Amino acid sequence: MKTNSIEVKNFTKDFGNFTAVNDISFNVEQGTIFAFLGPNGAGKSTTINTLCTIQEKTYGELRINGHDVSLQKDKVRKDIGIVFQESTLDGKLTVEENLKLHCAFYKVPKAEVKERIDFVLDLVDIKNRSKSTVDSLSGGMKRRAEIARGLVHFPKVLFLDEPTTGLDPQTRANVWDYIHKLQKQKNITIFLTTHYMDEAEICDQVAIIDGGKIVAHDTPANLKKRYTVTTMKIKTSDPDSLVEYLRELSIKYSVENGQIVVHATGTKDVLAIITKFKETIEDLEINKGTLNDVFIAITGKEIRE
Amino acid sequence: MIRPITAILSRNLLKLRRDRMKLFLNLFMSGLFLFIFSFVIKSTGPGLEHPLNYLISGIIIMTVFQSALSNSMNILEDISSGFMKEILVAPINRWQIATGHVLSAMVVSVIQGLIIVIIGIFMGLNIGLMQGIAMVGLMLLVGLTFSALGLYLATLSKESSNFQLLITIVSFPLTFLSGAYIPTMALPGILLPFVYLNPLTYTTAAFRYVALNLGNMNTAGLVKAGVAFNINGFIITPFMSILLIIVMSVVFFSLCVSRFSKADFSRVKTFKHSH
Repeated sequence: MKTNSIEVKNFTKDFGNFTAVNDISFNVEQGTIFAFLGPNGAGKSTTINTLCTIQEKTYGELRINGHDVSLQKDKVRKDIGIVFQESTLDGKLTVEENLKLHCAFYKVPKAEVKERIDFVLDLVDIKNRSKSTVDSLSGGMKRRAEIARGLVHFPKVLFLDEPTTGLDPQTRANVWDYIHKLQKQKNITIFLTTHYMDEAEICDQVAIIDGGKIVAHDTPANLKKRYTVTTMKIKTSDPDSLVEYLRELSIKYSVENGQIVVHATGTKDVLAIITKFKETIEDLEINKGTLNDVFIAITGKEIRE
Repeated sequence: MIRPITAILSRNLLKLRRDRMKLFLNLFMSGLFLFIFSFVIKSTGPGLEHPLNYLISGIIIMTVFQSALSNSMNILEDISSGFMKEILVAPINRWQIATGHVLSAMVVSVIQGLIIVIIGIFMGLNIGLMQGIAMVGLMLLVGLTFSALGLYLATLSKESSNFQLLITIVSFPLTFLSGAYIPTMALPGILLPFVYLNPLTYTTAAFRYVALNLGNMNTAGLVKAGVAFNINGFIITPFMSILLIIVMSVVFFSLCVSRFSKADFSRVKTFKHSH
């Protein structure tokens, strides 16, 4: 039977008169990657902070592995690992010292500490810098050290708040490799917030949050199916009969630079058009909808302001 | 239960060892005072038997006080650097965090006090073994008291760096009104009410009583030496001063732990990554 690692029911968080999160509910299945997608100020960090027990909810029920985040803080804290948006390493200490400290806080058996530190530093490829102070590391290495620390106590649920923000594309790709490697090796549940659409794309489930509300929640594929259309740019020697056909079936289209841009709703339309006009089509470009299109369709705005 | 506390303690000590400049600057002030006031007290010392020892004992305990107060405020750095978040989400209790921080500030302050003791010994301070133990005991107590006060104040302020400056501005005159550098008997009468209201007065008096080994002196002599106080006929003896420090340590420590346990650090601004 599938079990839920994270259960959130009717969660609301007010700051004075301002409602940061407004009555949201969702579950995250054990062993999956779940992405929280939303613009700045949408309520992503508030949700993470509350799940991580550093902020109190105003209303609702939040559980991690069945433990209530308000009432069983210690049990929750033992089960989770967190990589915050901002750096929370001690810059004056070395990577190894930071991790050792972490092990002491999480009561990792003393005999296992060294072995575990080696293991996680290996995983993120910074074992050769374990004796360097954090301040002397590059941004990407700091991030990896941070991820290593979040893992060293073998959490069952890992929270990643914008894990790759501020990293160059190469490092971003590497960080994701580590995340996947880890998820496979340890079968942990990953909850992440991001505003990179391509990162959300590879998650099992995506919830889009806007103005404190979850406005959509599904797999990336389903979201795209529901909220986006496939566009075809067609150059044809017989535009008139194509237009006539589209009108007949009331499929939206526009004409741009002598090409006909068809806004097909699904693969079926696309195939039908291609089959029917294969003799006259001179050039063809098909664009599938992206999560970015989903986001714009739902919230009416771009994710990055 | 003890492991997180000792972990915080050893981490803070490690950081201090790496930040030798801070350690040096703290001691530099004490050394400077020792140098300047040793001239002052030689010329104006009001009939003291060992004016230099009198001064050194005052400087030792003020070093402990200043160091305890400022080191416990190092937590403000943890808050602004983001490291505090790492501690807050760990499966440890708030009281353990507070205790770890108070203990580290206490240990550092006593170490700094001991360095002044060693300098004092070279300058002619005479102390026996039992007396030395009593001195360390009092230093630990004073260190604990003001580390707890410092952490309490830091928890109240959370992010303001001006607050740290304010503490320095307030604590500086207090050290001067405590009799540590200038004997209270030599101060103008108009300042005496402030001297008597100043908790550092009793801290200095109690420590001096132990450091100068004044156990054999009668009450009148103690008052004359500035380690007991005659406030309108009511005599505050060195033992009452010690008792007062114990009460203060309990009060400040409980205040600091309870305040720290309730404090919400999650909305404190931290520096984000550079994008």
